[in-house]
Amino acid sequence: MSGSFLAVAVLGDAAQAAHTGSHLESLVNAVIPKATAAPELAWAGWILLLPVLSAVLCTAFAALRVKNKLPAIVTVVSLGAAFALVLKLYLMRGPEAAPVVVHLWDWMNFSWGGGPWKSFQADVSLYIDSLTLLWMLFVTGLGTLIALYASEYMESDRGAGYCRFFFGVSIFLLAMSALVMADNLVLLYFGWEGVGLASYLLIGYDYHRPAAVEAAKKAFIMNRIGDLGLAVGIWLIWVNYGSVEFATLFQVFTNATSDAGGWDRSLIPFCLMLGAFGKSAQLPLFTWLPDAMEGPTPVSALIHAATMVTAGVYLLARMEPLFVLHPHAMTTVAWVGGLTALLAATIGMAQYDIKRVFAYSTISQLGYMFMGLGVGTAFGAAYHVLTHAFFKALLFLTAGAIMHGFAGQLDLRRLSGLRRVPGFGIVCWTMLIGCLWLSAFPYTAGFFSKDIILVQAMSQPKFQLLGWIGLATAGLTAYYTFRVWFRVCAGPVSFVSGELAHQTDHAQHATTADLHGAPHAHTGTASHSSHANESHAGGFHPHAPRLAINFVLLLLGLGAILSGIPGIQSLRGQHNWVQEMVYASTAVRASGELHTTTPVAFGLDAHGIVSVFGIGAALGGILIAWWLHRLNRRMADRLRSMLLSNSLTRWLPTSMENKWYVDEVYHALFRLPMWIASHLLNFFDRHIVDGLMVNGLGRVPVLIGRLFQPLYNGLLQGYATTMAGGLVLVLAWVAWKWLGAGGAA
Amino acid sequence: MSTTANIVERFCSLTPELVVFCGSVVVGVTGLSKSRSIRNATSFICTLSLVLALIAMAQNWGGRVSSGILLPTVSLYVGALALLMGIGFVALATGSMDRLYEDALSRGVTTFDANKVFRGEFFAFMLLSICGVMLVPGSPDLIWLFLALELTSLPTYIMVAISRGTRRAQEAAVKYFFLGAMSTAMLVYGFAMLYGSTGSLQFVHIKDALTAQAAMGGIDAVGTIGLIMIMIGLCFKMTAAPMHFYAPDVYEGAAAPVTAFLSFIPKIAGLTALLLVLHAAGWGTSLPQSLQATLWMVSVLTMTLGNVGAILQRNTKRMMSYSSISHSGYMLMAFIAGPELGLPALLVYLLAYGLSNGALFGGLISVERQGQEIEKLEDLAGLARRHPSAAAWIALGSASLMGMPPFLGFWAKLILFIAVIKAGHTPLVVIAAVNSVISVWYYLRLAGVPILSPAGPAAEGVVKAPSAWPRLAAMVFGISVLLLPFFLNRIMNAATAAARPVPNATTLEVQKATAVVIAPTVVDRTHPN
Repeated sequence: MSGSFLAVAVLGDAAQAAHTGSHLESLVNAVIPKATAAPELAWAGWILLLPVLSAVLCTAFAALRVKNKLPAIVTVVSLGAAFALVLKLYLMRGPEAAPVVVHLWDWMNFSWGGGPWKSFQADVSLYIDSLTLLWMLFVTGLGTLIALYASEYMESDRGAGYCRFFFGVSIFLLAMSALVMADNLVLLYFGWEGVGLASYLLIGYDYHRPAAVEAAKKAFIMNRIGDLGLAVGIWLIWVNYGSVEFATLFQVFTNATSDAGGWDRSLIPFCLMLGAFGKSAQLPLFTWLPDAMEGPTPVSALIHAATMVTAGVYLLARMEPLFVLHPHAMTTVAWVGGLTALLAATIGMAQYDIKRVFAYSTISQLGYMFMGLGVGTAFGAAYHVLTHAFFKALLFLTAGAIMHGFAGQLDLRRLSGLRRVPGFGIVCWTMLIGCLWLSAFPYTAGFFSKDIILVQAMSQPKFQLLGWIGLATAGLTAYYTFRVWFRVCAGPVSFVSGELAHQTDHAQHATTADLHGAPHAHTGTASHSSHANESHAGGFHPHAPRLAINFVLLLLGLGAILSGIPGIQSLRGQHNWVQEMVYASTAVRASGELHTTTPVAFGLDAHGIVSVFGIGAALGGILIAWWLHRLNRRMADRLRSMLLSNSLTRWLPTSMENKWYVDEVYHALFRLPMWIASHLLNFFDRHIVDGLMVNGLGRVPVLIGRLFQPLYNGLLQGYATTMAGGLVLVLAWVAWKWLGAGGAA
Repeated sequence: MSTTANIVERFCSLTPELVVFCGSVVVGVTGLSKSRSIRNATSFICTLSLVLALIAMAQNWGGRVSSGILLPTVSLYVGALALLMGIGFVALATGSMDRLYEDALSRGVTTFDANKVFRGEFFAFMLLSICGVMLVPGSPDLIWLFLALELTSLPTYIMVAISRGTRRAQEAAVKYFFLGAMSTAMLVYGFAMLYGSTGSLQFVHIKDALTAQAAMGGIDAVGTIGLIMIMIGLCFKMTAAPMHFYAPDVYEGAAAPVTAFLSFIPKIAGLTALLLVLHAAGWGTSLPQSLQATLWMVSVLTMTLGNVGAILQRNTKRMMSYSSISHSGYMLMAFIAGPELGLPALLVYLLAYGLSNGALFGGLISVERQGQEIEKLEDLAGLARRHPSAAAWIALGSASLMGMPPFLGFWAKLILFIAVIKAGHTPLVVIAAVNSVISVWYYLRLAGVPILSPAGPAAEGVVKAPSAWPRLAAMVFGISVLLLPFFLNRIMNAATAAARPVPNATTLEVQKATAVVIAPTVVDRTHPN
């Protein structure tokens, strides 16, 4: 423990240095520079076009029945090229360049002269500032890496499915790039819907499994609820501010000190929030994300961990100039984030499916990001997005490698000691990196980014409770993360294969087993696995990952390690590019940490307090996990059965394992009433509407139709007479009305 | 000398039309060949000549603008639209012309008999009709307009007759011909009265004369009656009330590709002719109240009768004929909105309507049963499972025609409605909106039956049509309906540019010079000195 105190002392000093002599003072009261047009950057449009190209090519490959890895190669190359373009853009501009608008082509430009809604303009243009580039760097970078990983992961589906998968990945990248680079809310909304569509298509990739289809529908419907909020928000913004273009809107927001107005104006941030909470799986719309794990693991890593779910954070960070005008909205964001973090962490503690544990940890970490935005550190939130993108993608990809190797087995009770299984070394050690980073182990990137958010919460009296919630969550996070690692990677070697060990997999193993030295020693000692598939376990060989997967895992591990550099720089009071990029963007006004030179909580240095408790929580969680899930695993089971046998404590493990019955509550609150209402309405529709309305009012057009039907009797003479009669009637009318009196019209 | 130079200039500005005309001659000649493969190539020659005409149009853009006609830029827009859509119509018709005979030939049941193949004539007439519609908006005078309109219509009578080997097609053609003749009679009578009132056949002179009359207390009775008769006569071409009665029978009787053609090409001929006549009658400045009111009434009647009539239909082509009638009603609203607001909206609407209609027909044409096109709504049940692409194009086309966002039809309708509201005709837009709601009834059925209904016994034997061209055309139409909303501003700019009046100092000079050639015995009553 003395070591941790030492660390606290060091951190405390460094933090003070960071905040006293900071060059960032000048940014207090910063105004957002007006975006200038940059037609010379038109090549940035290729960032959007390259995924389109690969999507079109994947469709063509599907039509041509390509059976090889061509779709993967095309996707990886085009996404890699998009990443290179983003990198070029970043290197050209540097982290602190002023925002520019790159006009690609006109889309909608209406003007109606007078009236309250004078004009509506939304072009296909890119708004490029440092926040855009920060997001685009990891979106395209991770997209490329995960596509590379998927080229090996999905190889058993080569053919139509393979093309379909990479088509989905390509349109996801297109939509996500459009979302992040949009210069107006309409294009952003297009991307927003597009990522939802791509997510739906990819979760339901394996459409033969009902669970995957259900999960895809659930994700889509819950997202639709959020999307409705965003759509209403965009509409209200247009009505209230007369524009949907960022460049115009930010000037309006910057010049405003408060945003007094009608009720609809104060509703805007809450509408946007609803959209963000839907997309980023926050309370109350978080239940779709764990189910989304039914999709292929690269999809979980790319869409449901690293990129798409951070779109909500991006939206709020992008619209910070609006949110700072609404203090209540900021408080709401902070509290929703904090509570989601805690709730998801408690659920994550009691899950047995590795991917579900990681899914709940994603929800929990996204909660931290929203908390960061709400308490006023956009830098902390954006930095946490960045570090989280790396370590969570890494964790998912290691889980995917295990799933790939053990025929779909993801139950952490049925996998043990994998680090001693040949070929799984890299998987286990990179997973350890991911776990350490996720549990905010001292001096890891996850520690720095979480620290910034918690310090900001602690140093404001009204958010101190949230700070403690965040610290408690950090302890839980460390526990459940290492519960997975100690169970799966450490301990004696023992495993049970999953149920996906189908014929083709075996055939593939027979040919590739020698190539990558698959182990023949199989010690199936899983005693407590009741319904293990014995026929498969008998002849099962783990399928160790090969070059593409291991390469991507190592690269992501390296990325996770490097993502700590800005944190260390921040502690030393040096420039760090994440902070520079956030401060140079529209999120600058929300950076409340600029206003207090030394963050103080309880009369002490907030950094010190957060560090002590944060390190304590992390190490404590890891130690408990080590004790319960490495040293004496029977103890963990006994603890659970003890809690279950006591009628006073039974609720705790049951409700945690059942995800606090949120799905059931939603079922009772929304689905059941909807079901009843739909049946009632169906009854109403059949007997009242169909019976009364359709036969009455609704039949009017039909009756009119019937009335005129004799005219359409198919007889030439009849038609001729009717037509001539029509002319005569018109002429008579005109003559009577206009020509009768004066002889002139 | 100057007259000859003017004629040469005029011919030069008509290069695209001449290319299409030459194409039709070539197609007609190759269509008489004894070789089956050369006959099969006629549709390619047809497409080629349309593409060449497009190139000629691009080359000759400036020449047309300075050629001194009333609406040069509109004529370019409409011409380009007719050519582009024409390529699609050729593709739609390629598989279905002589379908049964070709089938018998390929099965070896019969040998090639040059007298039994109508492909060459069909495509030649199609090109002639497209040539006619391109000439309509460029008309400098009433005679030219009359000839251009007849060049558009006459080939379509024959196309209806030879499109299918059934008696229904022939019956439809006969009805179409006689009623068309009657409408032409009304039109010509109207022309005569207009000439009587203004003393000129030149649109420029008619415009001056009518403006002068309007300034002196209103257009006289002869002129008003003439204008109304012209309008009612043109209603036949654009299937507007009260001249729309023929449309359901003719559209149902003709083969589906011809129906698709009829629902676009003659319609835009009628609309652009009305455009010219209204321009001459002082559209936007001094249009007589009587004409305005007649337009209002015709528009409301047309859209209501179209939508109400479509509800009862179980035959897809008959339903589409009513749909086409109702869209004419919407488009007539643009005329009420006036040239500044309505004309760009009309031009955008034409594009959206053509593409959506094309996608829908493409979907219908790409499936068949025993070599016959499918016509009943029940035939489409369960189509999404068997031929998902055809069902998708049908659904997309109906959704766009219905005006469902985000498809092209929605934006076109939005632009049109906004234009009409801005022109101060909110009640008209309310009526149109109610009509749109009624139209949802049948469009949703058209979109829903292929997707939602399980395939019943009625849908047995529906297979993919052997020719890939209709499918390709449907795909191109469908994808444009999907993607063009992203280029909305570009379309809107093109339409606005086309609708903008061209200030042209030489207009009158050119007109006077050609007037000598075309109508040497003009007595200019309005300019006595």
